[in-house]
Amino acid sequence: MTTTAYLIVGAILFATGALGTLIRTSAVGRLVGVELMLAAATLTFAAAAVGFRELDGQVAALAVICVAFAHALVGFTLAAGPRRPE
Amino acid sequence: MTVEQAVFAIAAVACMVGALITVTHRDPRTAGAALMVTLVGLAVLYAALAAPTVAAVVILVALFATVPLVVYMSVPAARAHTVDGPAVAGAAVIIGTAVLAILIAAIEFGEVPVNVSLRSSDGYDLAALRELLGGRSAAAAAGSVLLVAASLAAVHAARRDRRRPR
Repeated sequence: MTTTAYLIVGAILFATGALGTLIRTSAVGRLVGVELMLAAATLTFAAAAVGFRELDGQVAALAVICVAFAHALVGFTLAAGPRRPE
Repeated sequence: MTVEQAVFAIAAVACMVGALITVTHRDPRTAGAALMVTLVGLAVLYAALAAPTVAAVVILVALFATVPLVVYMSVPAARAHTVDGPAVAGAAVIIGTAVLAILIAAIEFGEVPVNVSLRSSDGYDLAALRELLGGRSAAAAAGSVLLVAASLAAVHAARRDRRRPR
């Protein structure tokens, strides 16, 4: 498959994640949308690595996955934490 | 159709449909299952792109971050309890610091421990920037801006209707 096909899939995933971030009202829903956008960026990096025939894209994809993992840990912990009594 | 094309088609459709169900479905169990399908599809796509390391990392992240989230959202439990144990936020800070240190070292020395150079001198990044600012990419960029504006207007209209007293 050509690199363009993977880039199109990444673009659709990014748009879906952005849509989810905008239309969901809960914090977890918005976090999931952001995670989808980060996953789309990772796919774009990996596809660019194949397109340019360099491994830099895969290294960048690993870095983005690590950031997304840390973001998911902190965000979901904050969203699922105990509520303060009102 | 070759095997590679068939694998790409199945994984790509699974990713897109799973992502759409994840952001639109209200039931957290269905959304969590759809998110898992999306992540597995992404791992298959990474493997098809000759990036098995990235695919393995995605699977690990799905197991350690997504599955606990789906279980938490699906299984009812008493929420009125204090959180005792290791701070998850501290672990995230450590992970972020380690990644930042690797990136700074890569920029400083021009390479990462996996023997990949980041100092590319053929200027393809500048050429891509010129392409983005002009030519056919300008139409795609303008269309994206219009799409984001339309999405924001739709969200604003939906929330305005929700706030109206019935």
